[in-house]
Amino acid sequence: MSTKQQSNSISIQNLSLSFGKTEVLKKIDLEIQAGEFFSFLGPSGSGKSTLLRAISGFGPTPSGSIKIGDDDITNLPAWRRNVGMVFQSYALWPHMSVRKNVAFGLEERKIAKKEINRLVDEALDLVSLKDLADRHPSQLSGGQQQRIALARTIVVKPRVLLLDEPLSNLDANLRVQMRRDILSLQRRLGLTTIFVTHDQEEANTISDRMAVLDDGIIQQIGSPVDLYDNPVNRFVASFLGSANIISGQIKNQQFKSSNNLTLETNIKKNKKCDLIIRPQSIDISTTKKQNKNSYQLTGQVLYFEFLGQTVRYFVEVQGHEFIIDCQHTKDKKIINNNEKVFLNITTDQILFL
Amino acid sequence: MTNKNQSIIKNKTLGHFIALMFFMVLGYGLYSAASNMNYIWKWTSVPSYFAYEEQVEIKSDIDGTIKIIDKNNVVIKGDKESKKITIPTGYTIQLKNNDEIYSDDTIIANYKSWHAGPLLLGLMVTLQISLFSAILAFSIGVSLAFMRLSSYQFLKDIATVYITVIRGTPLLVQIFIFYFIIATIFDLERFLAGALSLGIFFGAYIAEVLRGAIQSVNKGQYEAAKSLGMNYMQTMIFIIMPQALKRALPTLIGEMIALVKDSSLISVISITDLTKVGREIVANTFSPFETWLIVAAMYFVITAMLSLLGNRIEKKMANQGGM
Repeated sequence: MSTKQQSNSISIQNLSLSFGKTEVLKKIDLEIQAGEFFSFLGPSGSGKSTLLRAISGFGPTPSGSIKIGDDDITNLPAWRRNVGMVFQSYALWPHMSVRKNVAFGLEERKIAKKEINRLVDEALDLVSLKDLADRHPSQLSGGQQQRIALARTIVVKPRVLLLDEPLSNLDANLRVQMRRDILSLQRRLGLTTIFVTHDQEEANTISDRMAVLDDGIIQQIGSPVDLYDNPVNRFVASFLGSANIISGQIKNQQFKSSNNLTLETNIKKNKKCDLIIRPQSIDISTTKKQNKNSYQLTGQVLYFEFLGQTVRYFVEVQGHEFIIDCQHTKDKKIINNNEKVFLNITTDQILFL
Repeated sequence: MTNKNQSIIKNKTLGHFIALMFFMVLGYGLYSAASNMNYIWKWTSVPSYFAYEEQVEIKSDIDGTIKIIDKNNVVIKGDKESKKITIPTGYTIQLKNNDEIYSDDTIIANYKSWHAGPLLLGLMVTLQISLFSAILAFSIGVSLAFMRLSSYQFLKDIATVYITVIRGTPLLVQIFIFYFIIATIFDLERFLAGALSLGIFFGAYIAEVLRGAIQSVNKGQYEAAKSLGMNYMQTMIFIIMPQALKRALPTLIGEMIALVKDSSLISVISITDLTKVGREIVANTFSPFETWLIVAAMYFVITAMLSLLGNRIEKKMANQGGM
């Protein structure tokens, strides 16, 4: 299955799509490497599913171009694209047995019966469900149905595998297991894969790279760590994990918020910008510490949430509410509400965007 | 599961019993009402309308005595002449050697055979016309359903107009129009005219049933098939139609039952179906009560069998994974 790997990269150029007057995708440019596990991450309505469906050939024809390898598939009907899609609703065919569901795509390709049986067994083996081959989809659990849907798709050896929120109908534990299974399957087959999700944890754990979408525009592309550490804008920062975001402007190398919270910066350009700090990057203490290269802020604990692993403090600093995550260990004292606290932030942990 | 606090009126067995009593009282009421108007029930004549035994006789055209040669040959010896008569196999010779024979009176041999009565013949016609128009209606229905779902506007329009017009006018009027206008123009037989008008009428209903069923199949089912490389035809035939038909089945059986019942309307263009036969029997016997009750019962047997068939198929499908 990996012989053709080189030709299965995806290249999307200047792709736009509208439903009536609503622009759903706006000039998307995207390159996905062959064999890469790529995710589209975004809130609902961001256009991530529409983009996936445009690649698979469903929905209105977009403008711009979509290529797999060297083949332009923009105007091909869905059934000619050799693009395998796994659906959120599984979309197994209820009137066929599991074996028939998996075999059907091959049967329509006029492959010898013996070969079909071998390939179906192989695919069912890959998803470890060979024992259920004679059941009907309605007799399977959600997780099993999703595996069958996966087997049905990979058995026809598609050039790319598209997964449209495949895990969102499964319960939490199963979801974790399934995403590991999907990843290991993808690695074994070397399939170029696009995974659509609104769950950042899912995208983070599974993807080589991902694109964060909002409002029909790709906001940023990169590895999960890269996107988390170096978001390019307020949206990406807030969508990936929690962040303290304070709007303000830089003037004369000084950031000033609307409530006059002032921080020195080495950015020379004067501009309106957002200050972004991850909650775990702030050190909270009841005693004042003096550190080089760090900002000192004083505030008051409004309330806190004990989450086990961490304690999340909500601290008021000059009219701004900061979220601060503090690792919890047995010996650490919890700071009470209304106590005065000192916040210590190393300069390189702050982003001005 | 029985609920101890359940009130007695909700008890199942009692409920069945009460319902049975209700119908018995109703039946008795009708019977006595009929008796009070001095109606004479003549049930004894009814069986002969289903089937009757006919006797075929062989007689001689001369007087004389008979001489039996063997099972198939007899000779009649008259005063002036003798005549040899061949008796076909199956006939029974009723006389002994030298019995006297009077011309055109004495039965030499006879043969009894059963014949289907008018009710059975009428039933056959009803079944034939129902089957023929059901096949036609289904074909029209499938075509119209796909036309309505087509992406070509002219096909959509044609189907929509057809369905709206056919469903918007009474079947009886359509039968008249078909018989007096179209059948006259094209010189069609009555049977064909009747079957066509039934098929065309029910085709419009079946089209809507099928369209609804096809549209009720989840969009994901199409997309899954297409993403696996199946074209529109393959997707429709192997993925969508099996599911749509399964969903449409109860309604389709209902339409078939309606078709069988409404086939009684074609008796107005003098097709000798079950209903027409009923009218003829009433005209001959002046026994409308028995006749119409029997005719109704015969229709009911057909429709009940259709319902039963439908239930069976549904159960079988439910066992195969269901919907």
